[in-house]
Amino acid sequence: MKYKLMKTDSGKLNTIEQSFDDGSKKYIPKDEDNTDYQEYLEWVAESNTPEEADEA
Amino acid sequence: MSVAINGTNGITYNDGSLQPSAPVGKNLIINGDMMIDQRNAGASNTLVGTSTSHSTSAMMTDRWQLFLHGITNAQTYQQVTDAPAGFYHSLKITNNSTTQSVGAANALTPRQKIEGLNTAHLNWGTSDAQTITISFWVKASVTGTYPVSVGNSAFDRAYVSTYTVSSANTWEKKTVTIPGDTSGTWLTNSSLGINVMFSLDSGTNFDTTANEWVSGNKRSISSNVHFVANASATWQITGVQLEAGTTATPFENLQYGQQLALCQRYFQVIGGGKASAAIFGGDASSTSSVYTHIPLSGGSMRSSPTVTEEGSFNTFNISSRSFDYLNTMGISLRVSPSGAGRYYIELDSSDDKILLSSEL
Repeated sequence: MKYKLMKTDSGKLNTIEQSFDDGSKKYIPKDEDNTDYQEYLEWVAESNTPEEADEA
Repeated sequence: MSVAINGTNGITYNDGSLQPSAPVGKNLIINGDMMIDQRNAGASNTLVGTSTSHSTSAMMTDRWQLFLHGITNAQTYQQVTDAPAGFYHSLKITNNSTTQSVGAANALTPRQKIEGLNTAHLNWGTSDAQTITISFWVKASVTGTYPVSVGNSAFDRAYVSTYTVSSANTWEKKTVTIPGDTSGTWLTNSSLGINVMFSLDSGTNFDTTANEWVSGNKRSISSNVHFVANASATWQITGVQLEAGTTATPFENLQYGQQLALCQRYFQVIGGGKASAAIFGGDASSTSSVYTHIPLSGGSMRSSPTVTEEGSFNTFNISSRSFDYLNTMGISLRVSPSGAGRYYIELDSSDDKILLSSEL
């Protein structure tokens, strides 16, 4: 499993892409009420770093 | 027309019908009759067990989560049409054909997390905390004492009550009454308000004394049934109602559309069959990415949703796709066309779905 930041065409970072070994993906909003985003923040707090976003 | 007030159950009208006297919306449990199953449509699913130090979870019928921690035995869950009179569906959980003796930190917990906005009126955490009553129908292959508990979002307040399954494989109605908690922090916003747990198995870390408020993450007592210690054990539940007061009133039956709308605050599906097929597309002038905004037909969600895809989808002139600008009212599909001209993405078979989740 890995996280990758997503950048919009206007350069905004709204969403995190979570990829799994089976090829499936989740698109997670940067919303602190979202439980997947809460898990992402915990993952970052454990000294993990997401992949940088591709350039738009 | 004459009516008779029945202090226990409601109002008896002159046609002999008994109607609950509580207002619409008395049941704080959503989908208590297990009618809505957006994810699985009645199909059986299995949650694979985890090693002794890991957690996993799955959503079963809408709003009902199965949580495992350190349970190596796989658990099968399914919406079934075996139900007591007055109901049509129930939720069934089946232990696999092997047995397991749980460790101290292990847990197997079917539960529903109720949003704080829907429990705020109970005034928990204050001196005005209201008593609640939980009623439900249960059918289990293993007789004995089972726990039912409530807890807060921080998992530092809990009240464990119990019910007894007297006859194996027989529908029995159970009721527990829980005094409101005058201590602790109980959220009243769009986060988790009250966590209602029907623990089927757990280790000693989760055990406490029944029928009193305690601190900590508790959900069981030492003498309750250990579900995973019984090969192929089954447990079914339906007609779950949590209401203010000391009396279990008749179950609040909602129409399908009403119940579905309540569930869609937490989970919505786009696509998923001919009847709900969808297509998104347009004309591209180049290979530059293009956004299509998709309003949520199921209404506003609790939080911005997580989006996942299921199925293979049928696409034309699209090299890649993703989702962005996710919010409570809509999402945006971002596609990178392969070239100039018409492009589309089509969800036209039953396995093509876009899933949106804002579960607690």
